[in-house]
Amino acid sequence: MAELKTVGTSVQRKDAIEKVTGSAQFIEDRYMGPMLYAKMKKSTVAHGIIKKIDLKKAQAHPGVKAILTGKDYPNKIGLYLIDRDFLAVEKVRYWGEPVAVVAAVTEKAAAEAVELIEVEYEELPGVFDPRESMKPNAPVIHEDLGNYEIVPIFYPKPGTNIANHFKLRKGDIDKGFAEADLVIEKEYYVPQMQHVPIETHKAAVQWGHDGKLTVWSTAQSPNVVRQLLAKSFDIPMHKIRVISSYIGGGFGCKAGASVEGLVIPLAKMFPGYIVRIIFNREEDMQGTFTRQALFSKLKTGVRKDGRITALQYEMIWDGGAYTEYGVNIVRAAGYSSTGAYDIPNVKTDSYCVYTNNSIGGPVRGFGMCEMQWGIERQIEEIAKQLDMDPLEVRMINGMKKGSTTAAGQVVQDVDYHKCLKTVADQIGWGKKEGKYRGKGIAGLVKCPAQPSNAASSAIIRINEDGTAHVMIGATEMGQGMLTAISQIASEALNIPVDKIDIKVPDTDFTPYEWQSVGSRITYTCGTSVKRAAEDALGQIYLIASDLLETPQEDLTFDGKKVYSTKDPGIKATIREIADSCKKCTGEGIAGPIIGRGSFVPTNMTNLDPETGQGNPGLFYCFGATGVEVEVDPETGVIKILQLAAAIDAGQAVNPQLCISQLHGGTIMGLSTALYEEVKFDKGIMLNRNFTDYKISSIDNTPHIDSFIIETPETNGPYGARGIGEQPMIAVAPAVANAVCDALGIEFNTFPLTPERVWKAIKDSK
Amino acid sequence: MISYSYLKCKDLAQAYDLLDKEEQVYPLAGGTDLLVGMRGGKFTAKLVVDIKELAELKILEENDQGIVIGAAVTLNEIATFKPILDHALVLAEGAHSVGSYPIRNRATLAGNICNASPAADTAAPLFTLNAIVKITGSKGKRTVPINEFFIGPGKNALHKGELVESVLIPRPYPKGAGTYMKASRTGSVDLATVGVAIQRWDDQVQVAVGAVAATPVRAISVEKAINENGEKDFAKAASLARNDISPITDLRGSREYRYHMAEVLIRRGIEKVMEV
Repeated sequence: MAELKTVGTSVQRKDAIEKVTGSAQFIEDRYMGPMLYAKMKKSTVAHGIIKKIDLKKAQAHPGVKAILTGKDYPNKIGLYLIDRDFLAVEKVRYWGEPVAVVAAVTEKAAAEAVELIEVEYEELPGVFDPRESMKPNAPVIHEDLGNYEIVPIFYPKPGTNIANHFKLRKGDIDKGFAEADLVIEKEYYVPQMQHVPIETHKAAVQWGHDGKLTVWSTAQSPNVVRQLLAKSFDIPMHKIRVISSYIGGGFGCKAGASVEGLVIPLAKMFPGYIVRIIFNREEDMQGTFTRQALFSKLKTGVRKDGRITALQYEMIWDGGAYTEYGVNIVRAAGYSSTGAYDIPNVKTDSYCVYTNNSIGGPVRGFGMCEMQWGIERQIEEIAKQLDMDPLEVRMINGMKKGSTTAAGQVVQDVDYHKCLKTVADQIGWGKKEGKYRGKGIAGLVKCPAQPSNAASSAIIRINEDGTAHVMIGATEMGQGMLTAISQIASEALNIPVDKIDIKVPDTDFTPYEWQSVGSRITYTCGTSVKRAAEDALGQIYLIASDLLETPQEDLTFDGKKVYSTKDPGIKATIREIADSCKKCTGEGIAGPIIGRGSFVPTNMTNLDPETGQGNPGLFYCFGATGVEVEVDPETGVIKILQLAAAIDAGQAVNPQLCISQLHGGTIMGLSTALYEEVKFDKGIMLNRNFTDYKISSIDNTPHIDSFIIETPETNGPYGARGIGEQPMIAVAPAVANAVCDALGIEFNTFPLTPERVWKAIKDSK
Repeated sequence: MISYSYLKCKDLAQAYDLLDKEEQVYPLAGGTDLLVGMRGGKFTAKLVVDIKELAELKILEENDQGIVIGAAVTLNEIATFKPILDHALVLAEGAHSVGSYPIRNRATLAGNICNASPAADTAAPLFTLNAIVKITGSKGKRTVPINEFFIGPGKNALHKGELVESVLIPRPYPKGAGTYMKASRTGSVDLATVGVAIQRWDDQVQVAVGAVAATPVRAISVEKAINENGEKDFAKAASLARNDISPITDLRGSREYRYHMAEVLIRRGIEKVMEV
């Protein structure tokens, strides 16, 4: 590979100045026109039939313009399974589900009117544990499951609460267990968590007098919002414009579509007005996606030499009241169910189960944190029972080039062992430092969970002066996409990055991008941008060749001018070429230059419905986390003494931004390992504010040693692959493994709060 | 959505006059509990009376009575005030453990005690310093010892038309070290699951505990064992705290864990101040 100029350097963030000066625009910063404000009336029962909604008092409240209920618009929405009501229709399925939405001239009037709406429910028995909910006699939450539209790669069981049963059968499970010298069976549990982005969910919608619908949204994926709204409201796509401003953090909770549809019918009633809804923190905690809780059972067969011969994995996921997106998390966890290990015989059953808890959905890791918690804890147990070093068990079974995943996909471009070794070396693996101190390592792998044909595209316009505009549909939510993508364009065009402009998406002007999720943008959007740049560059050479009357193969472009490698005197500046180029005779040649590039995966396939075998991964990103802890045995408080993260980025496009992702992901993982857990009481979310839902703050965040490993991804742009989610995945098991090393006590769940650790110590005595 | 009138007072008399005459009226010093409580529906205020810039409430000084902490003095000011660091470190530590730095730039000690949370981080330290609450109002001035100021969760000893003018850390100051020890879920920017203040007074100790009863409480049994019975086994003395507290189970911790943590932190605190 030729030497890289821009890719691999830590250029300044494209949005740095705007963000530090406070001039970056988020939805609330924008004045869009005359406004109406929307507020939701929410259900006070977790499962119940709506007997009556009395709007009279609310409608008479000063300032109220309109109130809608589910009866007024029974449209459903969903990314993979169209099961979700915008407003509850006939029944409510979780506590806090919107049953009516009010538009008023002020937010205050809307909020007051909400209080005046009277709803009568006939409460139904609820189910709050997916294991109970799977049972044949459990109350059915979606009676119409059999009639819902669904992408045909999911397998619901109509008449039950099972929204998807993903099956995977690799090799011969009986043979695998027969070959084993030791069989270990354990159960694990991972609770719900919340993303808590700094900016909550927001949307503003305008229905123009010309019938054009404009949506400003915090959505991670404006094109998917457009697609889902077009379907749900039966509007042609050219009549919907979705604009994603800067987004104050996503972490998955703003994937798909959610809040936008709440206000669209209101906007339709008042053409020209902007109808805006802003979720407050409590609404954001309770009314948007939570991480799905997971109850899992692992049965692992292993030989005396540490080689795992068989894995039987049962996962029961709490999908919550709607599983439109959650069904795919369950599938992704299923097809990845061996984690970072090459296991020849696998039997996995992964169930997505409806309950009357808050809606489950995507969170950083997309099922991998939950699923690999079990894998990485189980490896510790294997090592303990075989009296082996857990790092060695990981090394023996870890995937390498040519290994196969649970789905039977062959992985390339892998150096998982280097990730493990890096963190092990950093934390001084193998050296016991004292009583109540312990070290733990966990590994991870993740591929983007996306449809096999999830596409990207890019347009690059070369200006008359040789500067460029990059147009893409990916969103900037803090991850640094604008910067990384500009660097890829800069590298391919050979134009300095400061001569490249790039903006957040607007579906009327920017080309298609499936979703900014799954740590895929650097790879997918990056590939599109590289192709668009190459297309533009091709046009530059073509025009230059005509202008300079020199064969293209003799020309080269140095970013400022195109010249002949044979006679450097034969040259033309980029300005001359890009400004609708003409010959000295005045005859035009060609221009303006517009490069286009698109990408759709060609290496992914559907999976066999019975065996789950196939190629579900666009690329696989490996990594590892190493931790040293000291536990206060009296209080249960865990002190993090060392924390090391290694992620294989293939090629770091911007090393500083990669390190930021490693820091951010590791902190988020640590926060879940130690503190975070959504608590429910019969579907009522108890800790829906920051007083009671605690996350890490800067002063309890330890130093993190971050390592970027670079095993180039053959098909990634300049060898890059995405790393956004990965740093989070291995943190919780690494912490638990370290605590286990310190105390000799196993934990099958987290967070490892002081009280939980204290209680475990007490119970072990 | 909250709606209320706001008035910034010119002097103290205007403040207690309004507090006396108006209904659903609340004084605002830092506002860090008041505004959150108003948003959450805990307080329904029609009128908010801003007292935070009244000069007579901004007093932070040492005089012949002791250390005077005006009602509008912020926790960050308290945590860095030299006489407090010299004579009442337990209070500086308690004040420093409230919320985050930006919160402490606004939050006040008077607000912390008026909010009357059993978990108030400055309360237990004040108990061990025998602090005196100076109250002012339309009917005149009065003083209340800190241990009589807390009536129950969210309830304090103020009558209608009264407000706290200042809190006095009286002379003579304690001879000996003091410390505030706090158990919380995250160890940072969090409420106390248990908060323990220990103050040495020469060869005696005073022990107060927060978040383990309806109000902060003195651990009288522990004090008695050490001060009167000469108990040298501090673990044994600390275990007597069980008699003085009655914690509940909530989202922040179980009753059982609170009993345990009160005992652990009391023992550790005593060991620390006694330099064991």
